[in-house]
Amino acid sequence: MEFAFALHLSPKIINMLTYLRSGLLAALQSFPKDARHYQISFLLIFLFTGIFSLKWPIDPPQIFLTFLVALGVQSFGIYFLKLPISSLKSSFISSLSLCLLFRCDQYIIIGLAAFISIASKFIFRAQDKHFFNPANIGICATMLFTGQGWISPGQWGSDGLWLFVVGILGFLVVTKANRLELAISFLVGYGGAQIIRMYFYQGWPADALTHLFTNGALLLFTFFMITDPASTPKHKTVRIIWALAVGLLAFYLQTYKWVNGSPIWALFLLSPLTPLLDYLFKGEKFHWTKPIHDTSSSQLFAKTRDYHPSIK
Amino acid sequence: MKNILLISVLVLMTTLQADAFCGFYVARADAKLFNKTSQVILVRNGERTTITMSSDFQGNVKDFAMVIPVPTVLQREDIRVVNRSIFDQFDAYSGPRLVEYHDQAPCNRYLYDDVVMSKTTTAKNAAAEMSTREEADEYKVAVIARYTVDEYDIEILSAKESDGLERWLNDHGYKIPDGAREVLEPYIKSNMKFFVVKVNLEEQQRLGNQLLRPIQISFNSPKFMLPIRLGMANGEGNQDMIIYAFSQKGRVETTNYRTVQMPTDKNVPTFVKDYFGQFYTSLYKENIRKEGYNNVYLEYAWDLSGQNQVKCDPCPSAPPLYAEIAESGVNWLQTNRGNGYTGQLYFTRLHVTYNRNDFPQDLVFQETSNRAQFQCRYILNHPAQYVENCAEWANYQDEKIQSRRKELRELASLTGWDVRRYRDYPNYFQGYRAPQPRGQRTGWIEEPTIPNNKNISPKPKIMSTPPDKIETAQINPIEISDSITTISQAEFIIDEEKESKREETKIPFAMIALTAITGLFLIHRIKS
Repeated sequence: MEFAFALHLSPKIINMLTYLRSGLLAALQSFPKDARHYQISFLLIFLFTGIFSLKWPIDPPQIFLTFLVALGVQSFGIYFLKLPISSLKSSFISSLSLCLLFRCDQYIIIGLAAFISIASKFIFRAQDKHFFNPANIGICATMLFTGQGWISPGQWGSDGLWLFVVGILGFLVVTKANRLELAISFLVGYGGAQIIRMYFYQGWPADALTHLFTNGALLLFTFFMITDPASTPKHKTVRIIWALAVGLLAFYLQTYKWVNGSPIWALFLLSPLTPLLDYLFKGEKFHWTKPIHDTSSSQLFAKTRDYHPSIK
Repeated sequence: MKNILLISVLVLMTTLQADAFCGFYVARADAKLFNKTSQVILVRNGERTTITMSSDFQGNVKDFAMVIPVPTVLQREDIRVVNRSIFDQFDAYSGPRLVEYHDQAPCNRYLYDDVVMSKTTTAKNAAAEMSTREEADEYKVAVIARYTVDEYDIEILSAKESDGLERWLNDHGYKIPDGAREVLEPYIKSNMKFFVVKVNLEEQQRLGNQLLRPIQISFNSPKFMLPIRLGMANGEGNQDMIIYAFSQKGRVETTNYRTVQMPTDKNVPTFVKDYFGQFYTSLYKENIRKEGYNNVYLEYAWDLSGQNQVKCDPCPSAPPLYAEIAESGVNWLQTNRGNGYTGQLYFTRLHVTYNRNDFPQDLVFQETSNRAQFQCRYILNHPAQYVENCAEWANYQDEKIQSRRKELRELASLTGWDVRRYRDYPNYFQGYRAPQPRGQRTGWIEEPTIPNNKNISPKPKIMSTPPDKIETAQINPIEISDSITTISQAEFIIDEEKESKREETKIPFAMIALTAITGLFLIHRIKS
């Protein structure tokens, strides 16, 4: 703030700047407190990469429509079901996931997918939580019911770069949300089965496997979709087994049923098990944000006041 | 032993149970075969796939044979021999196209013209002959079926182990490249059958076909893929493949590789008209250099449904007729008299340049519901005819110079050509008036002067693509104007550059990534 005084600004402006500064500080300090902040920033990076570098066939109105519908439905929920405002972050993530994964050339279908995504959170609930990953059910249900839209597992290409970037960023998010075991056990189930079949049984060369595991879509699913802490089983061991099952089912669907984007369908098929597993095995309910005491706004304000010369 | 050379080409595939089915050309004797551009028609209807394969087999007709892994034992009626002309027809219809427009003179009405030119990748053809065949038990290879379909003799083999199959092929006069065994193994493990296609010389003479006609196979399988790995068995080199895909639903794209649209709707300098073949070849090379070598490129996508009246816009050739579409295996359309039809049909043209390192997996496809249309279209804008005493001409000239500069920049970025040699291009058009000091205005440049021949030859600046990365496509004969001569392919100097370095960086990079992730995981464990 010293420069503000040096400029001889009026006290009003200085006050405004002080508030602005404290607001920014609060935002910065609360950023690491919620894994969703990481997720939003990383997914945004991926979306920009896709649009500007990989030239996906997605136009701005589609993105805008997805966000409009998803955030709109969520606002409804906030208003009528008295949900916390911060739940908007979750639907922001769902919209980003839809933009990243779901492709369609018809606006109405895109709107429908966004609607199903968020509405599913209010409809498919058991034991005080939703059990479908919103983006996942949005994609699968839309494709099932309308026959329109598609997933492009190839849109990312296969590159070691993806393993690196998505792996590292995903790792940050997943450890933040304490769901690393989900990512790992899914990879063990899916990847293990693929390695055994392709490498040891069929004798494919190693680079065919590298090609498989550096696929951007698979990594994105591993670190950003199946690891959703809100909709997966609460009990840790159960979670590990469940993710293994998703991996194996994805392997089965892809290898024997020739389903494209099989991990997404496997997750869709096994999500309804979550309430049952939660009923059988109790666990802690997940909270996106831990209760915060040390950075309450009053303290922040107290700190910022130190800068005021009159107090000094 | 007959010395048989195995030439890899496109490998085609059908699928049923397990993995890919692919094919490779096999030649007898030491014929030097050249097999670079192959063309495939894929028709997908539900779980029924029809694949028609054509290759520009060039070599002694007697030295031709093809081994194709298939997922199932094909019945006699699943195998057809079709007319080669459908490939040429689809190629001409869907190739990249050049459109030219003539500006209207600022003060006068002029004719508006629209000429279309397209670049086709004509594939050449040759014929072949086949060898004798015996059955052999000790190879663990069984001949399941034998058919003679027109000029081809077809045997369907089932193998238990790759060693046996390799010995069987060797002992029956096919020389298998060293890498073939590893490539065969995954297909055998997936219970694929192999069929060997040979030319029956007597039948061929009786039918009077000098050229090898494409073979078409159909099968039911959820898999929708094209095995290319077997074709790369003998290692080095790049092969080009053009895929024409028909589907009811919409665009076809690859699921394990990126499908990237080629640049389109670009304004390019008018002299490109005379070099359109070279232009597109350079553009394609430059584009795969920018976008990546391990991608599949979309060149054309159009709704060919019966009710869609606009089957192309502009049309470089007549849109495919019912007979041609039916010949390629599309069986769900209803025809009304003549060449009209009703029913849903979507056409996709994909172009892929593949080699062993960039394409470790076979091509897997999916039908999407995307019915958006796409074409590779490049635009020429001819300046208007000069009109005297036209007040608007000065403005027009300024705009034209700007837009022609832009065209040159576009050309440079699209093709990687060094356009400094064309720096006269923006100013040289009819009616151009050179800005001159006051009092010295003498007149116009009457003739449309175009830089001399030497200046205009499009020598690419940098080409990191190896020369065989893309087979230079043939160009349709184009009228050559007096002032410009075309350049020969020999003038295309391509710098061979460190292509191989790029390949090697891939796997270490993946390893670094794995190590980093593992490290992070360990740190996380220790902390908690």
